Amino acid sequence: MNFEDAIKKSIKLFLAGKQPEALRATKDTDFTYSAEYFDLLEEDLLDEPTESTKARLAKEEKINAA
Amino acid sequence: MQLEAPIPGENFTSDTKNMPWHRPPDLTDYDEAIEYFFDRLEDPEQMEMTFAMIGINAHITTIVSTILLQAIRLGKVSIDLAILIAGPLARIIEIQAKSVELKYEMGVEDKDRIIITPTLLRATLGVVSDEIPDDVEELSEEEITESPQGLMSMPLMGSSDVAPAEEQAAMLGGPSEPVEEEEV
Repeated sequence: MNFEDAIKKSIKLFLAGKQPEALRATKDTDFTYSAEYFDLLEEDLLDEPTESTKARLAKEEKINAA
Repeated sequence: MQLEAPIPGENFTSDTKNMPWHRPPDLTDYDEAIEYFFDRLEDPEQMEMTFAMIGINAHITTIVSTILLQAIRLGKVSIDLAILIAGPLARIIEIQAKSVELKYEMGVEDKDRIIITPTLLRATLGVVSDEIPDDVEELSEEEITESPQGLMSMPLMGSSDVAPAEEQAAMLGGPSEPVEEEEV
């Protein structure tokens, strides 16, 4: 695997909602720039909920309804 | 023979701290590094460059790796941290592209990937199946022998469909019918 492949893999995992857990374990606090942060930023800038936010809200609604 | 090759052990004679990537990186914290790149990506010149690259159909992954390689070369971040912060960086660029309604491609999809199907696998392994699928109708002997023939198609092997002499003469530019001699 070369550098470009590693970058691609890292981006793919981040977009899938995965965070570097081992790195997080070394810190006391959560990451500031998490996937949720970027979802909210996108929502603010573009004035529309992102796909991941829509999915999250739908999931929350489902849980609340049950 | 390489005359300009380094002498064995020559690497020990140079200062190991000559290059920025030989020294400890400037940024070691995940959030701190993302903040640095956040500021850098919001720089008008960098934004112009990013949008220009997206304009020439460069994938966001390519843009991210270019920015990160540059940062590694300058000793800003280590290779490991660069790989870890690639995702957030791609997301920042994605949001920037969306905000100006630019069409972009992330570049993480494997479009060139060949989808493995049973047929492809059979062809690769050279397996010839004896089973005939149900949806294939068996052709009768007449249908097999009556193969369609186009203008440029090859004549069937062993066929005696030779054009008559008159047709052949017409094709060669001669008279199509034998001309009767005029009576004197």
